[in-house]
Amino acid sequence: MPKRLAIVTSAIALMLAPAAIVACGDDSGDSAAKPKSNGQAAQGETLEKGVTLTLWTMPNSPQPKEDLQKMVAPFTAKTGVNADVQEVGWDVQFDRIRNAAVAGEGPDITQAGTTQVPFFAALGGFTDLSDRVEEIGGKGAYAEGIWNTTQVQGQDGTWAIPWFTEARSLYYRKDVLEKAGVDPATAFKDLDSFKATLQAIKDKVPDIKPFGAPGKKAYDLVHQVMPFVWDHGGAELNADATKSTINAPEAQQGVEFMADLITDGLFDKSQLERDGTQVENQFKGGRLAVWIGGPWVLGSVDRPEDDTWSDEARENVGVAPMPTGPSGKAYTFVGGSDLMVFKSSKHPAEAWALVKFLSEDQTQVDYAKLLGMFPARLDPQQQVGDSSENHKAFFEAIQTGRTYASIPQWGQIENAYKTRFGNILDSAAGVGSDYNAATVKSQLDAAAKEADGLLAQSAG
Amino acid sequence: MAQTTLQPPPEASSARVLPSRAGRPRRRRNWFVYGLIAPAVTFMVLVHLIPTAGGVVLSFKRLNTFTFARLFDAPWAGLENYRGILFDTANPLHSGFFGAVQNTAVYTFWVVLGTLAGGLAIALLLNRPMRGQRLVRTLMLAPWIVPSFVVAVLWQFMWQSDVGIINKVLVDYTHILSDRPIWLLGGNSMWAIVIPSVWRGLPFAMIFFLAGLQAMPPELHEAAAIDGAGPLRRFRYITLPLLRPLIAVQLLFGVIYATYQFAIPYIMLGSNPGPDADLMMTLIVRQSFSNNLFGFGAAASVLLTLAMCVWVAFWYRAFKRDLEVT
Repeated sequence: MPKRLAIVTSAIALMLAPAAIVACGDDSGDSAAKPKSNGQAAQGETLEKGVTLTLWTMPNSPQPKEDLQKMVAPFTAKTGVNADVQEVGWDVQFDRIRNAAVAGEGPDITQAGTTQVPFFAALGGFTDLSDRVEEIGGKGAYAEGIWNTTQVQGQDGTWAIPWFTEARSLYYRKDVLEKAGVDPATAFKDLDSFKATLQAIKDKVPDIKPFGAPGKKAYDLVHQVMPFVWDHGGAELNADATKSTINAPEAQQGVEFMADLITDGLFDKSQLERDGTQVENQFKGGRLAVWIGGPWVLGSVDRPEDDTWSDEARENVGVAPMPTGPSGKAYTFVGGSDLMVFKSSKHPAEAWALVKFLSEDQTQVDYAKLLGMFPARLDPQQQVGDSSENHKAFFEAIQTGRTYASIPQWGQIENAYKTRFGNILDSAAGVGSDYNAATVKSQLDAAAKEADGLLAQSAG
Repeated sequence: MAQTTLQPPPEASSARVLPSRAGRPRRRRNWFVYGLIAPAVTFMVLVHLIPTAGGVVLSFKRLNTFTFARLFDAPWAGLENYRGILFDTANPLHSGFFGAVQNTAVYTFWVVLGTLAGGLAIALLLNRPMRGQRLVRTLMLAPWIVPSFVVAVLWQFMWQSDVGIINKVLVDYTHILSDRPIWLLGGNSMWAIVIPSVWRGLPFAMIFFLAGLQAMPPELHEAAAIDGAGPLRRFRYITLPLLRPLIAVQLLFGVIYATYQFAIPYIMLGSNPGPDADLMMTLIVRQSFSNNLFGFGAAASVLLTLAMCVWVAFWYRAFKRDLEVT
């Protein structure tokens, strides 16, 4: 009998052991998420040679891991600190960074999308770099919009360092504009001339669609629509980020401007079925005359191995800043990626040294060129901007670029807006509810309501 | 005689001996059986029961962007998540949930109906002797070996309104339609996910029914035919009743599989397929993992699991007799 009891007890213990391990895991994760001494050493500290830092990067360039590994080789040569670059896909990076921050087990440094930084910072797993930033020139070394992506609105702390930058501009086909008889210098000056240019292309160059943008499948639909909202004087949230203003009349006008392009037959509605990359390939393949995109496409023009380009499109790429709206300003979305240092890093001094190296002007220029992006820092940004007329258009866009409220809930609010913007564009394309002002208003009201619910979330 | 009467009756003797001889081996055998199933039970407890219990606990927690790091220590919400989903019309997640429930019911109904009816029809055709029967059977199985991911990617390209092969056939080649419909947006998007799902499920249903048809004694049909029963009557009164247990099993798994479908809608239509095709699984994954509303996601998952339990109970009552026959 005692023997049988022993067997049963052992079996139960065996079954519960992993649960206990899970529970232990939770404890350790929890303690790691709590603030601990950040281990920051003073400036001029010595670095421990031979240690290996782990750096998570996303697919930024054709060979993300190898390209970045080469980029950090001079750092290793100079300091003796090794860097193990690991690639994390964009489809899983949000989950992996979040889980690593919560579990306290992850790399030393990670790349993060600029709009993700406030959420990751709220998890409590990242180092506040405020005491360090003066070593790399601080706030003054960056454009204001870009620096704001390292902060959490209403709180102290610098949770990231801008790494590289992008801003959206208008890509157009020079040959198509010529056939349409439109002067590129004035074609996209303001919203009226933008529309008139698309109309001229529609009328005079029937074998190409004037304009296209992705629908709700695109991760960046909101980046495509918001510039028109800002142009009309609208905003995503009120100034202190406590309430959604996406259903305000100005915002509605901005959204309607884009949706009206569909009903006017200027926006190819079949593009709404596609995601961002697929629409990008439509422009590169010569099926769209005008498209809103980032600088990485410009970077791919000179890569002969990128066979998504048709010859005509490759030879005739033009870039113009986004049009000026009724507010008198030409807004665009500015984004990119920042670097964040994990609080759980066992080598905080070495991790900071690597971030510092990646922020050096020459490293910034070299890496940005490789990516087809722009450096995050002002001086190297200017250097890349001066390299061609098309790059100049992007440089200007970055200086006037705008980003969203840097609050932890922004990612979720963006999802809510994306859903509703997608529904509005669908209805303009004739596949949703009837398209009219009331439909737009009810969708934006629903978006605002959902956003307000998300803003009301708290830790209590 | 006296000696004889002192002897215990043979029944009693055997009755006393049997338990001591046979009981020990039976217990030993039992432990052997428990030992064999222990790894499976342990595995089920680890990967199924503990996470399920964890999920149920999280459904009572206020687990969001700010409390995610605390996981099981997140504030207790009681029935708040359930109330928000089921009864709070002011909560934007309420309408999204019921929209997804409705879409999931529509999707499941058409997928299961299409798969079972189509599978049975093809099985009946292939059950007749014909040339090239083996080749046709093999070709019919092809969609089954294509992974869901590939199915979704293929159909996503086929449905594209401007360059997709479906609109080319319907509009350019056969002129059945004059305008190019948009399949991947709006109301059509439900059909855009139903049809590939049926296409993928057909072969399994077909092979299942074909096995049933081939195991059917031909004498029954022959006798009925001699008595004057036509093909339709023979199908109605012989084939269908004999296939009932197979239909029951297909129905059970078909409904569960279709209700939990994620890959096809997600890959074809993205993380948010829109109000016309958002299913329970896309809703739960989006709200949990993209929007960090883990409490909401867990509560919606529990409700979905309960709905499936009700379905299984209903199914069991409806087909209990067939299970006993099999």
